[in-house]
Amino acid sequence: MDYDRRAFLKASSSAAFVGAAGCGQAPDALWPLTGLPEKPPTDFTPPSAGSIDLTSHVINRLTFGPTPGLRTAVLRLAKREEDAVETFIEQQLEPEKIDDRRAEHRTRIFETLKSEPIGEFYEFQPSLLREELTRATLMRAVYSERQLHEVMVRFWSDHFNIDLSKGECKWLKPADDRDVIRPNAMGKFTDLLAAATKSQAMLTYLDGRENRVHKPGDKPNENHARELLELHTLGVNGGYSQNDVMEVARCLSGWRIGRGLFQNGKVQFKPELHDSGKKLVLGQAIPARKGMDGRKDLDDVLRIVTSHTSTARHIATKLCRRFIDDEPPSAAIDAVATRFSRSDGSIPEVLRTLFHTEAFRSHRGGKFKQPMHLIASALRVTDAETDAGRPLLNFLTRMGHMPFEYPSPDGYEDAADAWQGTLLWRWNFAARLGRKQIKGTNLNRSRLAKRSGGLAKVAAHILNRKPSVEELAAVEASDNPVGLLLASPGFQWS
Amino acid sequence: MKQTKAYLHGNGDLQKTLVVVFLRGGADGLALVPAVGDEGYHRQRPRIAISEKEAVRLDDRFGLNPLMNALKPAVEEGALTTVHCVGSEDDTRSHFEAQDLMEHGGRPGGGWLGRFLRFREQSSAGALSAVALGASVPESLRGAPSATAMRSINDFAFSGSEDFVEALQSLYREQTGVFGSRANDTFRALDRLRSLHSKDYTPANGAQYGGDRFSTNLRLAAQLIKARLGVEAITIDLGGWDTHISQGPAITPNITRLSNGLATIRRDLGAEMKNTTVVVMSEFGRRVTENSVLGTDHGRGGVMFVMGQDGSEGHTIANWPGLANEHLVGPGDLPVTTNYRDVLRPVLTRHAPDADMAKVFPDHRPEAI
Repeated sequence: MDYDRRAFLKASSSAAFVGAAGCGQAPDALWPLTGLPEKPPTDFTPPSAGSIDLTSHVINRLTFGPTPGLRTAVLRLAKREEDAVETFIEQQLEPEKIDDRRAEHRTRIFETLKSEPIGEFYEFQPSLLREELTRATLMRAVYSERQLHEVMVRFWSDHFNIDLSKGECKWLKPADDRDVIRPNAMGKFTDLLAAATKSQAMLTYLDGRENRVHKPGDKPNENHARELLELHTLGVNGGYSQNDVMEVARCLSGWRIGRGLFQNGKVQFKPELHDSGKKLVLGQAIPARKGMDGRKDLDDVLRIVTSHTSTARHIATKLCRRFIDDEPPSAAIDAVATRFSRSDGSIPEVLRTLFHTEAFRSHRGGKFKQPMHLIASALRVTDAETDAGRPLLNFLTRMGHMPFEYPSPDGYEDAADAWQGTLLWRWNFAARLGRKQIKGTNLNRSRLAKRSGGLAKVAAHILNRKPSVEELAAVEASDNPVGLLLASPGFQWS
Repeated sequence: MKQTKAYLHGNGDLQKTLVVVFLRGGADGLALVPAVGDEGYHRQRPRIAISEKEAVRLDDRFGLNPLMNALKPAVEEGALTTVHCVGSEDDTRSHFEAQDLMEHGGRPGGGWLGRFLRFREQSSAGALSAVALGASVPESLRGAPSATAMRSINDFAFSGSEDFVEALQSLYREQTGVFGSRANDTFRALDRLRSLHSKDYTPANGAQYGGDRFSTNLRLAAQLIKARLGVEAITIDLGGWDTHISQGPAITPNITRLSNGLATIRRDLGAEMKNTTVVVMSEFGRRVTENSVLGTDHGRGGVMFVMGQDGSEGHTIANWPGLANEHLVGPGDLPVTTNYRDVLRPVLTRHAPDADMAKVFPDHRPEAI
């Protein structure tokens, strides 16, 4: 059946059909038909402290925000809060052990994303691919149980940013998301980097496929080499020279993307387009290599750059900025960078170290939510049902944060300043969601109030703390209390 | 790396607004701006040529189509620049390919307008900085720090009630620093949005917009510009230029619409034109010779218009090769002798001197025109 529907989508050039998607939703009432385990809405206890407690903090940072009951479920993992949080972190660090069939079920409707082999992507309209990839991304952020994995998928999608609108990326990025970023987001950095560097979408986005050396002395295309050093590994002041960029470009020459019936979209190494001479990268010699052996240059480059201390520091700084603060303390960066080097870039080990720093525990409520985070957290905290359709996605365009649309290789900014101008659309979004005025997205306000135990409890649940007297008064006087809470200052930060 | 700060101007007073009109389908440059003083033109288009006498005179060689008579004052007052033989390097003659390349501004990610708004030295793009008048945001605005597609002024409304805004104000009162001032900016913008909706819009200076979609969109554009919401870019599409058959009847209403619309918004905006530039562009021009059914096929070089303040424009720019067959390219098309980016670049720099033009148009070596 999957195959038939996909064949239909390929044949269909009608934009109207795309707009009609979303009918594949499985509302709660239909879950029994899926054969998946039931997850009845249960009562839950919102936080009662005046400031963000440890459990809420850890949920805020490791996930796209608490859902009704998540905090209660975490606290049940152990007797002591400290141990319960510990168990939750460990669970999230091993996403492959978390049953995520419910989220998988929801994204099953996005048929184009299953295309295999990669050449099959070319058979779809780019607008359909864009829509399905974006909707699946938002759906997973909201519904996946592997929340830390999803948070890291966003992190790496920005780190290895690829803009769908550049050339063939519109057909190739969905495969990059599925085959490069997702499987490696919680693996080893070396594997992720290797996959990203040889990704069809990246070779297209950074012109690596145009990097050809026909004869000795030909100038290679430096773009991919430069971003590999500046953005993906060592960082802008990471201690490489212009000469290193050129040497890396020579090493990376000769990688192409195949054409023709069975080769379409396949990554190929062409020895005749590779610079076979010897090179010197960051002080390390790479020998001259003939024929297909030339492809080993790439492995050497990746080995040299991933073991460089600047790479450990660069990745550690970005992770600390994501999980701790826009200006993370250097002690935390040092600890995380050291773990990166010692664990050979094991992402779970690096994150475990980060989550145990004093800085992580103490910096609460000070990260301004990026728009995607804001929207996902609002849908999660209200237990909303969404098809992640156009009316919802429009808010991401208005806030300038559509996934896969950042127009330069450095990816969306992870700092409050970049996003604080979006308040108008945040408030608009909140007001509409609270009134159930976003088509394709629905929530049950009275059920939320019933499960938590009244409006004051709903406020505590949304704000991650007991509301102040003023907050509670404003919320109780409002005819759109949920909207007001989602628009309030407290909900803009995590 | 440069910081990209998107914040909102509650006070959009100092903002300039760029209105980009895209003529979709490949508008015939020689119909809009006939080379009435070039005998080659009359030779190549014996049946559909316009006489020198009929045209609105631009210079010894060019005139505007007489259907564009409404723009005569703009020409005479130095408010309209016309560029001929302009276009992109795309030579596929495919609508999709050519629009794609032109709107993306080459082969990088994002659209040229999107990058223009995002990559600033002292970035100032606000929550209402870019508006696409239509059902969706065009490719040129991809990657913008904010972009809103709207079909009517109601799409631009704030969804919360006055009570909601008051309650929010009480909740944000204690906020300080950048967050607090952004919140204040936003409340000021909400005030302006509210006044935008509180009364019917009356165009100024006796301007009367037509009832067609294009005119309605221009009217909306003028309304947004005057409301001072910090709108920096407005995109409007005008389709129907793909005139393969019976060009005359097909193109006549469109030329009239374009010309009347531009003349009307100019009149309506009046002195506001000093902060406004309207750019008109199309993905390519059309074949020089008419085909057997009195139409024209996909070509290369076309025309662009830039309309601004009186005295600021008024040029006719053409690196004109002539219309002898040996000067035409491909199957008989005007060549592209001016790159469209070189027309946009000075306009963008004037609007935002801090825009990072190397990022707006990468891989392009600018040439003065």
